[in-house]
Amino acid sequence: MKDFLLLIRTEGDVWTSLSPKELQEHIEHGTAYIANLMKEGKLKSAAPLEKGSRIVTDAGGVMKDGPFNETKEVIAGYFHIVAKDLGEAVEIAKANPIFRDIRTRIEVHMMKTIPG
Amino acid sequence: MQESNVKQIVDNLFRHDSGKLVSVLTRIFGAENLEMAEDVVQDSLVEALNQWTYKGIPDNPSGWLFMVAKNKALNIVNREKYRRKYLSDVVHLLDSEWTAEPALNYIFSEKQILDDQLRMMFTCCHPSISSDSQVALTLKTLCGFSILEIAKAFLTTEENINKRLVRARQKIREDNIAFDVPEGSDLEPRLAAVLETIYLLFNEGYSASGGNDLIRFELCEEAIRLTEIIAGHESIVNKANVYAMLALMYLNASRFKSRISDRGDILTLAEQDRALWDLDLMQKGFYNLEKSTADKTLSIYHILAAISAYHCSARDFESTDWKSILSLYDKLVLLDGSPLVLLNRAIVLSKLNGPLSALNELKKIEETSALEAYHLFHSTRGEFYLQLNNLNEASESFRKAIALSPLQAEKEHLQRRLDLCLKK
Repeated sequence: MKDFLLLIRTEGDVWTSLSPKELQEHIEHGTAYIANLMKEGKLKSAAPLEKGSRIVTDAGGVMKDGPFNETKEVIAGYFHIVAKDLGEAVEIAKANPIFRDIRTRIEVHMMKTIPG
Repeated sequence: MQESNVKQIVDNLFRHDSGKLVSVLTRIFGAENLEMAEDVVQDSLVEALNQWTYKGIPDNPSGWLFMVAKNKALNIVNREKYRRKYLSDVVHLLDSEWTAEPALNYIFSEKQILDDQLRMMFTCCHPSISSDSQVALTLKTLCGFSILEIAKAFLTTEENINKRLVRARQKIREDNIAFDVPEGSDLEPRLAAVLETIYLLFNEGYSASGGNDLIRFELCEEAIRLTEIIAGHESIVNKANVYAMLALMYLNASRFKSRISDRGDILTLAEQDRALWDLDLMQKGFYNLEKSTADKTLSIYHILAAISAYHCSARDFESTDWKSILSLYDKLVLLDGSPLVLLNRAIVLSKLNGPLSALNELKKIEETSALEAYHLFHSTRGEFYLQLNNLNEASESFRKAIALSPLQAEKEHLQRRLDLCLKK
């Protein structure tokens, strides 16, 4: 088994375009998806991210922190999962019901961990 | 709603649900926070008692109770998340918006509740906890017994039981005892330790009739319930001993209610009304006995269950198959040569070869072990002498047995035997 970090990228205010009913359904789909990952023992953790992220850059020796450009694309949340290989991790990402409701891209990163 | 009615329902519920809840909450909080899990369950019950007294009992009291405990757990985890450290593998899932709800549903699912009860058994019966404390902790956490009830069942004080519980929880914290079912080569010895504790619990309920009979029968029922959880679990691969112990407990429990007369006197096997034996329990015993012989394992539990089965299947006392029972005792002695087993073997021997040869057997045991302080040794010897009409020796033995017996009902039974000697 290997560890993977899945970053959920969406457009900034995409959630506001959903009606209350749609939002409710969206949450239910997500809950079922997460419950299933737990049952299979594949979920280590997952959380949505708050707005107002900052980005820290080193501008020629001067550290600057500024707002993330949240109008275009934001990281809405992350999943830390385990899967047997990159292929399985990609399949898990594809099954995320967020795709049904919201324009999303999911990055699938294999984490470098100390071999057990 | 009458307050006393509500209390009774809560008490009943407590027995059945508190063990499940304490187990699940311990999974969430980690074994090192066991007492916190017990407290949350206690609080939830108090809340139920208050609410239901005013508003009536909900349609699904069990579901209500679980919901309250769930919310309390979630609150505690999130309130104390930066103050308290948890070793649990699921607790971090409760503090994310995405995972909290599915995690709670998952943790409180039927399968997980069963798994957690099994984990709890292995934690409570960890070999580094003393056996007294193991039994007390198992009763408190898994069976919903109050400290007072445990004290009554063990004929000791509440203070004493509390001390055992405190020591056990301390040990769990200090030794970082995991809340898990052991794997690989660890499993077999740890399972043996769990079975031993459960059997002790059963025997505490089964042996004679001290204190409250109701509580004692519940001890037996709880021992059986816990063993059934083990028997039904897929992570326990070799179950021969588990089935054998279930068989033993069911067969013995089937005779439980016939052992006491209407007047509260102890009845011997010969005096019992066999029509009172519980056929349903007996059938379960035979069923498990058959399952226990699927492979070649032969444990002490197998032999004891087989002995019990011979008693159960005898139509009356006279038709008991003493010969087969003696050969089982001969096998048992090889696995467990304790004085108590030898003593029981001598009783069987007396049925076959008469009291004189049995008395010779007792003399042999007496030479090699310390049975002088054991009341059943003296009462058995008394019976043998009585059969030989050696009334002086018989009276002497019964007097010693009376002085040593810890139970009132037993003292009275022995007194009647003594009176019989004196009248002759």
